[in-house]
Amino acid sequence: MRSRWLISAFSRTLTLACSHPVHCRRFSSSATAAAATTAVAVKKVTKSNFEPALEDLRLRVREADFVAIDLEMTGITSAPWRDAFEFDRSDVRYLKVKDSAEKFAVVQFGVCPFRWDGAKGSFIAHPHNFYVFPRKELPVDGPSYEFLCQTTSIDFLAKYQFDFNACIHEGISYLSRAQEAEALQTLSSAYKDEFNNSLYNLEEHVEIPLLRTADLIFTERMKNRFHQWCDELIKSPAKNYRLEENSDSNKMQFQTVFFKMRPAVLLDGFSSHQLKLIRLVLRKHFKDLVYVRSVDENAMWKKIVVYTDSEEDKASLRKEVQEDLLRNTEARVRSAVGFRHVIDLLTSEEKLIVGHNCFLDIAHIYCKFFGPLPSSMVEFALAVHKNFPRIIDTRHLVNSSHVIQYLMKRSSKSLSSIFSLLCPRISSPSLHVASNSYVKVEVQADETGSSCFNSGAKHEAGYDAFMTGCVFAQACSHLGMKFELHSPSIDFSKNDKIQNYMNLLYPSWNSGTVIDLSTGIENPDSSYKRRYPQIVFSNIVLVWGFPSNIKPKDLKECVCKVFGPDSITLIFFVDSTAALIQFSKEDLVNEFLILKDNLESNDDPISVLHPLAKLLEGGNTHAANYETYRDICGSSISKVLFVDQAEAVGIRWKTKVENGSGETQKFASSSEITPGDNSPAVKQVIGKKNDPKRQSHHQVSCEDILDSLHASKLLFEKQVRSTR
Amino acid sequence: MVASSGKHRWGGAVKQITKSNFSAALQQIKVHIQDADFIAVSSQKTGDLAASSSHRYPWRRILPIDIAETAYLKAKLAAETFELLQFAVCPFRFQGSKVVAFPYNFHLFPRDELNLGMPSYSFSCQTSFLASMAREGFDFNVSIYDGISYLSRAQESIAKERTTPRVYSSSSSPSPSVADSIFIGRIKSRVENWRNACKDPCNMADGSLAKSLRKLILGGEVYGSRPSLSIDVCSDRQVQLALEMVTHISDDLVPLVVPDKSGGAKSVRVVLTSSEEDKNLLMSEIQNLEEEQNLKVRGFREVIDLISSSKKPIIAYNCLHADGNSNNNHGHNVLKLTRVFAKLGILLKIVPDCQTSLGQHTVPIEEYANIFYPISNSLQESEADDVDFHMDNVRKISTDDLVFIWGFREGTSAAELKNHLRQTHSVFSEDIELQLVDKTCAVVVFQKSGSAEALLKEIGSGMTNSTAPSKIISEGLKAAGYEAYKKVCRLGMWEAELADSLDCALSEPSGDLTISSGEDASEIYWSSESMIDLNDL
Repeated sequence: MRSRWLISAFSRTLTLACSHPVHCRRFSSSATAAAATTAVAVKKVTKSNFEPALEDLRLRVREADFVAIDLEMTGITSAPWRDAFEFDRSDVRYLKVKDSAEKFAVVQFGVCPFRWDGAKGSFIAHPHNFYVFPRKELPVDGPSYEFLCQTTSIDFLAKYQFDFNACIHEGISYLSRAQEAEALQTLSSAYKDEFNNSLYNLEEHVEIPLLRTADLIFTERMKNRFHQWCDELIKSPAKNYRLEENSDSNKMQFQTVFFKMRPAVLLDGFSSHQLKLIRLVLRKHFKDLVYVRSVDENAMWKKIVVYTDSEEDKASLRKEVQEDLLRNTEARVRSAVGFRHVIDLLTSEEKLIVGHNCFLDIAHIYCKFFGPLPSSMVEFALAVHKNFPRIIDTRHLVNSSHVIQYLMKRSSKSLSSIFSLLCPRISSPSLHVASNSYVKVEVQADETGSSCFNSGAKHEAGYDAFMTGCVFAQACSHLGMKFELHSPSIDFSKNDKIQNYMNLLYPSWNSGTVIDLSTGIENPDSSYKRRYPQIVFSNIVLVWGFPSNIKPKDLKECVCKVFGPDSITLIFFVDSTAALIQFSKEDLVNEFLILKDNLESNDDPISVLHPLAKLLEGGNTHAANYETYRDICGSSISKVLFVDQAEAVGIRWKTKVENGSGETQKFASSSEITPGDNSPAVKQVIGKKNDPKRQSHHQVSCEDILDSLHASKLLFEKQVRSTR
Repeated sequence: MVASSGKHRWGGAVKQITKSNFSAALQQIKVHIQDADFIAVSSQKTGDLAASSSHRYPWRRILPIDIAETAYLKAKLAAETFELLQFAVCPFRFQGSKVVAFPYNFHLFPRDELNLGMPSYSFSCQTSFLASMAREGFDFNVSIYDGISYLSRAQESIAKERTTPRVYSSSSSPSPSVADSIFIGRIKSRVENWRNACKDPCNMADGSLAKSLRKLILGGEVYGSRPSLSIDVCSDRQVQLALEMVTHISDDLVPLVVPDKSGGAKSVRVVLTSSEEDKNLLMSEIQNLEEEQNLKVRGFREVIDLISSSKKPIIAYNCLHADGNSNNNHGHNVLKLTRVFAKLGILLKIVPDCQTSLGQHTVPIEEYANIFYPISNSLQESEADDVDFHMDNVRKISTDDLVFIWGFREGTSAAELKNHLRQTHSVFSEDIELQLVDKTCAVVVFQKSGSAEALLKEIGSGMTNSTAPSKIISEGLKAAGYEAYKKVCRLGMWEAELADSLDCALSEPSGDLTISSGEDASEIYWSSESMIDLNDL
């Protein structure tokens, strides 16, 4: 009977109900709706008040005993089959988190420093809600200027009145550490190049290519005008002179300004083609005039023609301009770092970071603000640990503490319901809760004008961070921590009980494991109740592209007819086009794959009438082992259906058999060949498309494949014989 | 509204349509579209890699080297990746000497109204697009909160299968098995009992308690004001049997199939009608319900269908890839467009009084209809004010004369590469032109026809007797003809860098792609004018 519920466990509802960990944890039962109505002053921070807010936050974080964080993203999974499944292998699980963090954008970042005030006997919290938006602020290519939105997530944010206008119009941009370094290097070398080029060009013999009559007239006119301007300057250098314009061309006005103490003309309203012509004219006919590009106070480029007295003057002008540009570059890059200053603050202060179910949040922080995510979970954990030496996941804390589990009874695990259960005094102050066991938390809105304070609401990052911090403080109290004794500052890592939860995070909500960030080691979570029996990954076959009418029970029936009623321990549909089948024995994996390939390459009546033929109908059924599933999850492409994904990553074979020696054979039946394609009868196989370097390893000649095909047939016949 | 009236009056004249006023507006726009002489359209999207303003993957923009097919494939990719947030439609009518415009601005959002993962599970945003929309004062909240959703025609048919209860037409079926007869027998007696109970006049007089008791025992429900009964089914076969059985029992029973999420049948609902008229009434009610549901399903696509079925001339400004930088407030764009078009119309000597439909009768316009410019990007970056298309600098070039070169050091300039190539092979000393497609790949245009093919053949065969090609190879340089590029686009190998994509295409086993095939060579318009000045950017 076991397999029946396993099969029925597949349904869209499974993915719909559980696919969005962030959403799940946030859906509150109606009983806790009161939480949302509580007025808590949350500071709204956008581009316009970022600078002062950051300075203020520096102080708050420095004084804080811990800092709670929360993120709102534009999505969780880039395709339904990328949802976190309970039986995902650790590496696959990390690939899914990595994909999510790389593809989606962070649109809100909640930061809430908590400080214990011994005199008041209360925590003082400062919830901040930062609107974040990855704007392109520098003329340098960056990887983050395109992001994905999951329609349901955006709709979810809208349901909770997320202000998209504030985010896109006013959101604070950022550069990761890696991007900052790259931008500085690219920009300064670009300026250096330009500087050198302009020097070099000076010596060059310049010929103006005059292709169009209009160009000819324009160049001539410019030449006259600059001559006129120079003459006037020499005649009356002291006068703030304004060039008289011919009435017919009054839209191009020359206005004498001063640039670096030298008379100059601001070039305004010219097309880049015209500017190019002007530069050529200047180089050819005017030794005293220098064409300069400079950035004004509003960060706008302006093009200026400057008059210099001598060669030395010209050189010194160039130097001044270049220094300006470099200074300007540095300032611009610093300003483009934007929100990352907040992250730098958190890492440099080395405060305890508290989040709720925050593994994905941390992955986002790493990816957006540090640099590209490492390829393995262990590397990731250790790199995070280096930057954030102390992180506590309140979800893990709440789940694994017996005291708190007792208090929680069976209520929902969403953040807001935990909050209203553990902290009723804060969540609904109107209810008079008569107990002294509740930790007091006071929210402080500072004096800098109340306009940027909103009353917090559930699913707003700032308020969620606040709730997380309150839950943490209360949980510590339940674990027996006495804050009064710790004044003036609390060192949570010195507390034995809290230490048990330090740096332990859930890699996903349904992984059934905890990862220790300080070691990178993943262990089973004792408090997790598994829905599936133990997974043996080497016993798993991945099948995809089968006829759409095949439901889990059909698939089971089909396979069991061939391999016996006990041959399957688990069938899981990744989506409607792909399934994972776990066999009871490892041998069955290859037996299945070889049989499948055999049936497909033969067109005799036995193959057609074979019970497995139902699964192979349509000729698009593919099969491979679990490693292929991992490879496909690792691809940066995300097609909605798994079958399309497999094609998009460049899988052209139909069956992949791994024999004992670790060698891989991949087969494609001849029916696959597209008409007009002069390819050999058996198509050779390529590796993942987005990794051309890998492919060379997989290059196998046709003969090789034919040979192996033959060999596998023999092998299969032998196996069939031996099983009889 | 008259288009010639002041600019400042446009704002109010553009009708803003969201979820809430969509059905009402639909009737109005239907009339306006029917009466229109032509319709202008314009859209706002979350990004467009094919657009000239996109800098992320330079080679994925539509470039002068693209033939119609590759340009279309690039536009297709962009259309599949990004979403529409606004679509402006402006039916336009000549009235005497005036031009009358009816601008509508539809706010869109691909909300999953039916909970089926449609119209899109996810979509991409280019921050540059969103930021420039923000600068123009675009209201994202309106689109996301109240935008009209939609399904494509293909999605609609899938959704229909899964959501609406349908009236099944029963067809003859194979002889029933034992299980079938048991199933039929069981439900037949149940339906008959239920029908008799409902029809029994003395039951009608019963009190409410007796009614609810009966309902409990017989399992009856109410469909609208009519009694109904649900029959659970577990296969399509059973659906068929139930339908046949119900129609056999009596004419006053109407069977409806209630689908589950996946599109399979969950149950058959039998509705009892009191008379022939009542039955017709029910059928038309169901029809209406279906239409209402359809509108909800199709959403904004209804407007597109209206425009498309009206067969009126459609005007869009470079609609294959509207430029992301040029988005002024949206409805206004359409108006500007219509003004331009009206002017053009006058220039082309269309008499505005003639009330006949434009498309069919006016030759001057016909000549410009259905011609899109898929190409408007220069290979090199250029400033927006320079994008005018100078035909005098453009000449036709056969794709056979193009060779893609990659494998050089990133950051190599076109001039450096050209010099370098000259040292590797004599063929490059001919009159050639070279431009960079992106950081990793360049395209070489050979003046002499046959040179490209000869070079590719030489490299392809890996000839070692001539030192020249081996020098190319030994330096890690790779080359391919236009076929490889076409293959990249056709198979959707949209890597970030063209060099990677070409590598992929070459590693595919079909045919020798290094050689461009002479048969289906096409012509492209090549601009030799190099207007690059990166310093100017």
